[in-house]
Amino acid sequence: MSHGRKVQDSATDELGRDMAVAELLGPLSPEVDDPSYWMRFKTRVMRGASGELARRRLMADVTVGDVLVSWARAVVPTAVLAAALAGLMLMRAHVAPAATPARVEELLVAGMESETIPATLSRSETETQIAFASERF
Amino acid sequence: MESQDDGELVRRARRGDEFAFGVLVERYQRAAYAVAYSVTGRHEDAEDAAQESFLVALRRLEECRSPERFAGWLMTIVRNRARNLVRRESLRETDQVPAAASSSTPTPDRVTESRELRGLLREALAGLPEMQREIVLLHDLEGWKHREIAERLGLPPGTVRSHLHFARKALREVLSASPQDADRRSGK
Repeated sequence: MSHGRKVQDSATDELGRDMAVAELLGPLSPEVDDPSYWMRFKTRVMRGASGELARRRLMADVTVGDVLVSWARAVVPTAVLAAALAGLMLMRAHVAPAATPARVEELLVAGMESETIPATLSRSETETQIAFASERF
Repeated sequence: MESQDDGELVRRARRGDEFAFGVLVERYQRAAYAVAYSVTGRHEDAEDAAQESFLVALRRLEECRSPERFAGWLMTIVRNRARNLVRRESLRETDQVPAAASSSTPTPDRVTESRELRGLLREALAGLPEMQREIVLLHDLEGWKHREIAERLGLPPGTVRSHLHFARKALREVLSASPQDADRRSGK
């Protein structure tokens, strides 16, 4: 137990590293037996990570801007074309025949066949309703 | 690059910057291992949990709402992964594999000594509550400061200090009572 006391009395800085304990724990470090241990450790991790890192690089290359540009490249011309077609159709729909004021003569002959008045009157009395009506009148 | 803050590195890693992610791995691999070890108590499991956690963190990087607090977020992932691993392992009830031998081929004596000491440390750490294990490993093994631990783990500084105090005390008591430790120290 006297040896234990000796160890307890060894240099111990509560705020720093306890060199006695550090020395005791030293053999637990894998590099004690193998100085290149940590180098190989890192190499193994990096080998295992290579696929994921490559995937991340690929994803990083395709930025949000790239996605927007590629999207815009296809969508914007289509949208412009659709807008132009819609505008054209709207314009054509608005070009309806303008309502011109009807004249009195036109109103009088509206619905009548395009025949001269003498020709119409020369028909027999029973031939048409118009002749009969004109007779009565 | 080392001086770059975590927030900037995380943002770059999100865009797939390999170098930035590499810096984050290098910066926190030791801490991740220490946290995983504090849960699993086994080298192999700690290594698996720590490595998997970095990959999970990368996949879920968008979920890290405060990139400046990446370390704390990562340690939560590490802790959860390590706990899941322990749960799976306990279900399997596999025998514990001895700590892996090094690639630097140490002498048989050194291997034996190292294994004995590791076993002892493992036992000593196993007797501590998980939070104390985590804090003492981060502080005394990885060199994190009280303030860093408090900030990164989202704990009050007083709690960190208290956990560290009790963990150190318990470790010292267990380890100093062991004959191996006495031999090792008197040998030096």
